[in-house]
Amino acid sequence: MENDARLAGMIESFLFIAGDEGLSVEQLTILTECQEEHVLAAIERLRTSYDERNDSGITLKLLGGTYRLVTKAEFADDLTRLLENPTPKSMTQASLEVLAIIAYKQPVTRVEIDDLRGVKSEGPISTLIAKGLIMEKGRSEGSGRAILYGTTDLFLDRFGLESLERLPPLLQEEEDEAGETDLFMTKFQEAFAMENDEGGDDL
Amino acid sequence: MSYQVKLEVFEGPLDLLLHLINRLEIDIYDIPMAELTAQYIEHLQTMRVLQLDELSEYLVLAATLLEIKSKMLLPVHEGEVFDDELDYDMEEDPRDELVARLIEYRKYKEAATSLKESAAERSVHFTKSPADLSEFGEVVPSHSEEPLNVFDLIGAFQKMLNRKRLKAPLTAHISKVEISVGEKMDEILATLERGGGKCDFYSLFEKGDTPELVVTFLSLLELMKRREIIVEQHHNFEDLTVSFKREED
Repeated sequence: MENDARLAGMIESFLFIAGDEGLSVEQLTILTECQEEHVLAAIERLRTSYDERNDSGITLKLLGGTYRLVTKAEFADDLTRLLENPTPKSMTQASLEVLAIIAYKQPVTRVEIDDLRGVKSEGPISTLIAKGLIMEKGRSEGSGRAILYGTTDLFLDRFGLESLERLPPLLQEEEDEAGETDLFMTKFQEAFAMENDEGGDDL
Repeated sequence: MSYQVKLEVFEGPLDLLLHLINRLEIDIYDIPMAELTAQYIEHLQTMRVLQLDELSEYLVLAATLLEIKSKMLLPVHEGEVFDDELDYDMEEDPRDELVARLIEYRKYKEAATSLKESAAERSVHFTKSPADLSEFGEVVPSHSEEPLNVFDLIGAFQKMLNRKRLKAPLTAHISKVEISVGEKMDEILATLERGGGKCDFYSLFEKGDTPELVVTFLSLLELMKRREIIVEQHHNFEDLTVSFKREED
């Protein structure tokens, strides 16, 4: 128990130093010279204690595969007093759409993105590369060996995701499938009814 | 039915089409092609005024809409074997491909919205740069299993820019120095005075940025026009000399 507390404290101090670079579990196991399961338990302990304590303005988050100490959301408004001109950095709708397509379909070529959106996406792609949110992930096997795009760790960080697996599931999918089934069913029933009618005529 | 066009920004033809479908409260699985096509083309007409770069892409979809619409107008052959008709109904609705594209696009459009929300949630957590331990000794380089590539470089550059921005002074005043021809004329006359009534033409152009050089030249012309100075060149390719215009001239 004593050791667990010490490990949690040690991890906290490493994370404090690491700042926004954060540290992965692997890095923490090397730095603390402890086993991964102990490290993970200590991290959980830290997180719980932060969240339970009202007198702590800091909490712990897993962003893009690394743990970091971040300020608690409840103090966000107070912290903006440090900003002279707080303007939330917002992305254009086009960039967001391209980013969403790349995030869910990666690795994906520009042509696939263009087709999906029905509009050219070169501009948003280069903006996203410049922002470090997407990167080249090799070339496609097909003709022309088009560049394949994928998201970066910075993307996970900026969008508060632990890993790509934690992307929220695409909405609509189930509903659409249900819709399609319904459509199928209606058509089927119509066809069935017609068949019966026609069958009746034949007789 | 008239449709009031509001100038909204659309992210392409599919976005516009989705907007129209929502606005007209159309069932996406059973699109009334005539109505939608009419509305779409009406909208394009308004947009043409804006001369959008992507107009060609909008026109491609307009053509597709018209094609689907005309296909649907073709009479369904009656009296044919029933199976064929079933096939037509079930698989060859000319709208199928369009509907599939719209639904696929809508999926990612909504994913974009949810991404925007997660970015907003993330943005309320602040963090700080890693501590600089260099004053305590050399820092162990953090090892990375993957080799670095150009995108790591871009990332590093971004971080550097951000940190530089954080270190920048909170306020800075930038004022533009403007020099009028009048001021410059006085300055030139003063220079001549110091130089005993003479000075080298080129020495007047040794300092200042482009606008200032232009002003200097204009001032010289103005002074010459007012017959206060004279610019002489005794031989070809020799330096020009500026001097006070002598009274007797």
